[in-house]
Amino acid sequence: MTALLEIRDLHASVGDTPILKGINLTINAGEVHAIMGPNGSGKSTMSYVLAGRDGYEVTGGDILMNGESMLEMEPDERARAGMFLAFQYPVELPGVGGMSFLRAAVNARRVEAGEEEIDQLAFVKIVREKAKLLGINDEMLKRAVNVGFSGGEKKRYEILQMALLEPTMAVLDETDSGLDVDALRIVSEGVNLLRDPGRAMLVITHYQRLLNHIVPDYVHILAGGKIRKTGGKELALEVEESGYAGIDDAA
Amino acid sequence: MPGSMMQPDLSAAIGDTGVRADALARWQDGGWPGPRVEAWRFTRIDQLAERDLVRADGLAGGSAGPGATAAASIGAHVIRFENGVLDAGCLDGLPDGVTARDLAGDEAALQRLAELAPNGHPVSDLSMAAMTGGLLIDVSGTVAAPLMLLFEGALADCSAHPAILVRLAAGAHLQLAEWHQSAVGLSAPLIGVDVGTEARLEQVKVQDEGAETTHLAATGMALAEKASIAGFSLSVGGSLARLETHVAFLGKEADCQLSAIYMGRGEQHQDITTFMDHAVAECTSNQIIRGVLDDRSRGVYQGKVHVAPDAQKTDGQQMARALLLSRKAEVDAKPELEIYADDVICAHGATVGELDATQLFYLTSRGIPYETARAMLIEAFLIDTIETIENEAFAGLLRPVAEGWLAGGEGA
Repeated sequence: MTALLEIRDLHASVGDTPILKGINLTINAGEVHAIMGPNGSGKSTMSYVLAGRDGYEVTGGDILMNGESMLEMEPDERARAGMFLAFQYPVELPGVGGMSFLRAAVNARRVEAGEEEIDQLAFVKIVREKAKLLGINDEMLKRAVNVGFSGGEKKRYEILQMALLEPTMAVLDETDSGLDVDALRIVSEGVNLLRDPGRAMLVITHYQRLLNHIVPDYVHILAGGKIRKTGGKELALEVEESGYAGIDDAA
Repeated sequence: MPGSMMQPDLSAAIGDTGVRADALARWQDGGWPGPRVEAWRFTRIDQLAERDLVRADGLAGGSAGPGATAAASIGAHVIRFENGVLDAGCLDGLPDGVTARDLAGDEAALQRLAELAPNGHPVSDLSMAAMTGGLLIDVSGTVAAPLMLLFEGALADCSAHPAILVRLAAGAHLQLAEWHQSAVGLSAPLIGVDVGTEARLEQVKVQDEGAETTHLAATGMALAEKASIAGFSLSVGGSLARLETHVAFLGKEADCQLSAIYMGRGEQHQDITTFMDHAVAECTSNQIIRGVLDDRSRGVYQGKVHVAPDAQKTDGQQMARALLLSRKAEVDAKPELEIYADDVICAHGATVGELDATQLFYLTSRGIPYETARAMLIEAFLIDTIETIENEAFAGLLRPVAEGWLAGGEGA
């Protein structure tokens, strides 16, 4: 079986600084992987490299989705191929209406798949249903994208986008940062609803607490640009107990 | 001296005395401003002197294109100029409260137009002298339907010099649209507006001239006590365009909102120049200017707010922002405050920037194609400006023009 996502000996730099120094990771459909690591270990770089952000240069290795290399693909092409990144810091777009943004994104995928653009009324109905599960009200949907949203609202809005775009490979970058306990529960429930045999998730987090809610199949410890250790969900608890200090030695 | 601009018999037609003869004498004395004239430093038009343009003197008939469609969409009464010549048939069936007639020959009205016209602007003199079509509009009461002045014409070797004076009586309320879609060589409208006591003018202008047209507009407006103007211009057409507007505050508690969007691509040159003359106390003016420039296009914003010693409690604001979409696009912004009173609130600012790479990445990471994402962000940059237009019908005229420009990018 071809892996949904296969990362092979991935090296990447930001400017002249090498950040990722040989990542190997295979994710199959239906699996949830977590990447944990200290600050500066390369977690966010990895999420941006997967999404194809400008300025994050792959200097070696490959990223394959369903067996196809993504390296030559632009961010929009990757997204339409099924990649989704929930941002650690969702971006405010003053003047860009939320509904037209969501519809443009959904229609871009539909057109790629050879489907018709979605009917406006039907779309509003779908958005409202999914938004309700995430505690997003109509007033928030009417605003410009992320403008005037609290930290928690921005994260819920990311998950709403994920629910609408139905990606095959979802990368969640520090989705727990800035969330209080209640918001964390809502966001996690939203993510868990999207767990699916056809979909894989890569949950990037600094803390173990998110993984109490989104329970991963595998946990990887990233440090110094490499995966130092891989285990089951109990590895997250180990890190919680003893911190990242011993990881380098263990590698 | 650009003699080619004048038909040989012009001075014979005008006569030796009067407002137009004086204007002709000033024009013959001055001609097109050269590069050393400060007000025209960023916008060079002296090359017009070398073009062989003639005044049109007749109508070809027939109106089509987006202007007429737009007028129909808002139920506007259209007064049409073709190659600068007034289509007199349009003066039938005017809305209640509006009367209109030929301006030529009315010395008092010509004199008033000359006073309102931007001082020192070549078109103030040239279009007064070379007037191809004159129109005097008087307005009283609240006019229910908008008026649209529609400027068209296909003669590429012609210069169009419409001259228009609009007088709003005390308490009058007029919605006035100007739509320029000609393909003439030079389109040089001279327009004066007197807004009477407690009168209100809602004005919108679309400059969507042909790709080879030079558009030089000279507009002068004056506000009596408690008068108000809500004006908005969208300039997207022409090879070179300068929309120059001078506003004189003549009575207290008058208010003028004068905003503009300019958009350029290719080798286009777009210039928005304004002068707010706060001569009396307790008036407010506010200008929001947005520019979008692609390719090798060039933008100019010159905005001067002058506050006279007696004009206490003036509130004068201007904020200009430009978005450069290409490394080769250029903008010159020159906001100026000249304040001689001590109790005023005035602010100005100008910024120039590029599209935000993080915002583009966010949009494209959702699968939205790069070009669509770019257009969404440009539209977002413009949208809050269009949303300041209270007159919904007028805002609705502008959106499709701006969207059409955005859709026509990239290789168009």
